[in-house]
Amino acid sequence: MSFDVSLGQYYEAKSPIHKLDPRTKLFFVIMFMIATFVAHEVVAFAALLAIVLISIIISRVPLRVIFKGLKALVVVVIFTAALNVFWTTEGTLLWEWWIIHIYDKGLINAGILALRIVMLLTCTTLYLSYTTTPIELTDGIETALAPLKKIKLPIHEFAMLMTIALRFIPTLTDETSKIMNAQKSRGADFSSGGLIKRAKALIPIIIPLFVSSFRRADELATAMECRCYRGGDGRTRMKKLKFKVLDIFGLLFSLALLAGVILINIYVPIYSIR
Amino acid sequence: MSIIELKDVSFIYGKKTPYEIKALDNVSLNIEENLITGLIGHTGSGKSTLVQLLNGLLKPSHGTVIVDGEDIWKKPKKIAKIRYKVGMVMQYPEYQLFADTVKDDIAYGPKNMGLDAEEIEKRVQKSAEFCGIDKETLSKSPFDLSGGQKRRVALAGVMAMNPKILVLDEPAAGLDPKGRREILGGIKRYREESGTTVIIVSHSMEDMAMYCDRVVVMSNSKLLLDGTCKEVFSKHQLLKENGLDVPEITNLVLKLNELGVNIPSDVYTVEDAVKAIVDLKATSNKAKEVEDVI
Repeated sequence: MSFDVSLGQYYEAKSPIHKLDPRTKLFFVIMFMIATFVAHEVVAFAALLAIVLISIIISRVPLRVIFKGLKALVVVVIFTAALNVFWTTEGTLLWEWWIIHIYDKGLINAGILALRIVMLLTCTTLYLSYTTTPIELTDGIETALAPLKKIKLPIHEFAMLMTIALRFIPTLTDETSKIMNAQKSRGADFSSGGLIKRAKALIPIIIPLFVSSFRRADELATAMECRCYRGGDGRTRMKKLKFKVLDIFGLLFSLALLAGVILINIYVPIYSIR
Repeated sequence: MSIIELKDVSFIYGKKTPYEIKALDNVSLNIEENLITGLIGHTGSGKSTLVQLLNGLLKPSHGTVIVDGEDIWKKPKKIAKIRYKVGMVMQYPEYQLFADTVKDDIAYGPKNMGLDAEEIEKRVQKSAEFCGIDKETLSKSPFDLSGGQKRRVALAGVMAMNPKILVLDEPAAGLDPKGRREILGGIKRYREESGTTVIIVSHSMEDMAMYCDRVVVMSNSKLLLDGTCKEVFSKHQLLKENGLDVPEITNLVLKLNELGVNIPSDVYTVEDAVKAIVDLKATSNKAKEVEDVI
């Protein structure tokens, strides 16, 4: 209860995006990713940004939730943007001090890069985690990659692995806080001393955590075997994924999006950001 | 004299989120020194939360926790020190063992307290003895032991810190009857010899009646009853309304009373019940009608 895990945060709501087939969403996200990196015209960028904003409105996931998810990544975004500012040596020199040179091109590049990252993150988390349950997602990945089974790739096993991993994240955090409390009760101190002392203080947490993870894995395997689990071959599903009319529109829209961005790049040259 | 005092304590999980839960609602409570106090309540009544407030693992949302005459949150940076005074054995403590040998694991707490090697050795030996861990086991790996033995090692690890107050969250959960008796009996013996104040959280009314001097009952995040076993278990109606019960043997005696057998209903252990029935039989040799019913 004391931990906030922002992985696989499904936000329950009724929206067309929630209803989409996970495969459609995966395809859309991939197209969107490519489009974001291909786009270098201002108009194309504006269009992509508009799509992100409209998606948020349609999905009914509150902005507050989305901002909270982005907050954790602020450091990464600022760091990459800052690197860009200092490393670019094109355009006009704006400011100079000791070994630091800031060019106008650097600032623009950094801004665009930050926008790209934020757009990508918002789009992926919105489509794949806020509006899709982890189970739907792995099901989607499994069926989408099913043809690869022909060349003997263990797709089902891979999907099951992902499902189990996602399922046990909250269990593990819960367990960690329990063990931490127990060791704190025995006078453990995790927040003082040097690096080595702190690393050593973690041993009484990590060992019990590993031991119980192995125990749990063992129990889970036995429980699955008791219920006659024997891998993916011939397994039927209770909820079969089915493409609906909405999905066809979604897929077409994804293709149109990428094509549109490329066309804008070529035919609407207003201002290019490279 | 009360060694722990809770004043209007409330605790809220996930404050200011949609998942806000009030786990404790204005609880005031005194724990008397040198007694075994039992804490009962159905699942989710706030017992475990209450217990974690006692050694500062959780900070109350409102109210104060006073241990040994001192507000434990007066100096938040010194909160770790309170944990030497209030020893806590969490639920299923066997999962917290980590060291190479049982001995090292028991010594972990005393080592954290900064005691010298000689004193640690002495304490390890003593607490191992209380918990029924023999010399051979001390040099084994804790992961090679059975569940019940592991639990004893965990208990010894906390006892070795010589806390003034020992808090145990469900110490006998999931053990067989023999393991239960040994663990709880060991705790009782330890209390008698060391004069430690003990708080036991449990679901078992039988254990409460057998080992506790005082019983505190929680229900729906609030304090429901607080008193001696006699006082608390006499309110069987109220207990049942709150999803709890009296010891099975008391239920039997109550049923016998209903059928017209005239024995005192404040009987909470099998031993007392046997005594009451034998007494009745002695008197009923004179009054013959009761005999037929038994």
